Amino acid sequence: MNSLIKLELARALRNRKFLFFSVIYPSALFLLIAGNADSTAKVDGTGLTIPTYMMVSMASFGALTAVLMGNSERIAKERESGWVRQLRLTTLPGRGYVLAKTAGAAVVSLPSIVIVFVVAAAVKDVRLDAWQWFALTGSIWAGSLVFAALGVAIGYLATGDAVRPITMITYFGLSMLGGLWMPETTFPRWLQDIAKWLPTHAYAALGRAIEQSQAPRAQDIAILAVFFVLFAGGAAWLYRKDTLKA
Amino acid sequence: MTTTAAATTSVVGFESVTKVYGSVRAVDGLTLDLHPGETVALLGPNGAGKSTTLDLLLGLKHADSGAVRVFGTSPREAIVAGRVGAMLQSGGLMDEVTVGELVKLACDLHPKPFRATDVLARAGISGIADRKVDKLSGGQAQRVRFALATAGDSDLIVLDEPTTGMDVSARQAFWATMREQADQGRTVLFATHYLEEADAIADRVLVLHRGRLLADGTAAEIKAKAGARRVSFDLEGEIDQAALRRLPFLNSIDVSGQTVRIQSTDADATVHALYGLGVYPRNLEVAGLGLEQAFVAITEAEEAKQS
Repeated sequence: MNSLIKLELARALRNRKFLFFSVIYPSALFLLIAGNADSTAKVDGTGLTIPTYMMVSMASFGALTAVLMGNSERIAKERESGWVRQLRLTTLPGRGYVLAKTAGAAVVSLPSIVIVFVVAAAVKDVRLDAWQWFALTGSIWAGSLVFAALGVAIGYLATGDAVRPITMITYFGLSMLGGLWMPETTFPRWLQDIAKWLPTHAYAALGRAIEQSQAPRAQDIAILAVFFVLFAGGAAWLYRKDTLKA
Repeated sequence: MTTTAAATTSVVGFESVTKVYGSVRAVDGLTLDLHPGETVALLGPNGAGKSTTLDLLLGLKHADSGAVRVFGTSPREAIVAGRVGAMLQSGGLMDEVTVGELVKLACDLHPKPFRATDVLARAGISGIADRKVDKLSGGQAQRVRFALATAGDSDLIVLDEPTTGMDVSARQAFWATMREQADQGRTVLFATHYLEEADAIADRVLVLHRGRLLADGTAAEIKAKAGARRVSFDLEGEIDQAALRRLPFLNSIDVSGQTVRIQSTDADATVHALYGLGVYPRNLEVAGLGLEQAFVAITEAEEAKQS
């Protein structure tokens, strides 16, 4: 299985479009949104400056992009092309394929997180304690597994033609409504009530709690856990269905 | 290995295996045994159930009834033990990687791997090892698939229509590659709808039609059977059907009005004997049968024998 992970990784690092969207794009978007913002102005009710706030949003967004796009489109395409069937004729255990895909995406998501941090610290003077940087990296990286599972589920649900639009709608919907692109405090009340139940919202909230030196809220952890179980369970069910049918 | 051992150790065993899709019986009560060292062609027209049979054999599909054993175990166990290498007809390849990387992966995943450079050489693709998989011609992609199937020291090699997309000369070169596998003592099973291909490589041919095993014999035997031709003619006056039925090499005969239609495995001899009956056939036509029609002819002959 290690050799498949290695190859998936080599392939991910070779794909310029994928690298651009998952590694460069979140940092660029961060500069675009937070670039002209006053480094001392606070986002309402958070005590965080706009660059600090947006840094977590964009790091989460970058990790989400890498794992969601990396999994869903590839899996759907390779299911259709028959490569998944060919792999089933090897000693690779059934889950090995999904694990290799997720591992490959996770390795790309790490630099996407770190580069947003570096840009935020260098250009917008975001300052945090050392433990906060490490905890942020760890929690955003680990939290991206929720969306990796979602990517796998979409990959086994959608056909090769439908996978891109489905992924895009899910991806933009979750990013925007979860408050990754703009603070959800700018949303109307009713939308805020919906947004706070989204996994992307809980995901970014975890990172913000670390920036605020607070313990993460139990509700956010619970939301992420429930979505992970939902997505992973759905992925496992769809995977089994696909295997029986193929 | 002694002959008795060969007879008792079955490489592949199908026992009354049935696979149904909706109302179509893709594989219908199939029973067969493959023995060590055989090179076996699974021959049949499109839709005969060849791919389904191979999918069942490889554990990609599960039989609705009956049992599939590979080296006495389940297909999956045989694959995990590294005893089976396979190439699928629609086997997509991982893109954005090179041929060499992909073959290396197949070697890494095999319990008894060969060296990747040897596998590439044997499949005749050393020269394109650095090429990206998505930049291959159809024939080259088939060779890459073949390399994946032969990445390790498997005892059984399964190939589903391996020469699809190849021109005549590429096809013949590929047959030599396949024969090498058989010469190394492996059991080789391949599906094809070319009688010529079965004849060139296989020492045993299984003819599949509508999910059933129609014939099982040497390529020469199958060729004799499938080489049937159709003879049709008109006769005037009273037709002596009993005499016509005694004509040699008949597969089937159909008399409607004054027209007689015969399927014969040796049309020349049949026509010669027809004149010997002292009749005067008009509008005599002798035409070859396509493979599919030939299979139908065999079926009808088999059914006629049974009834």
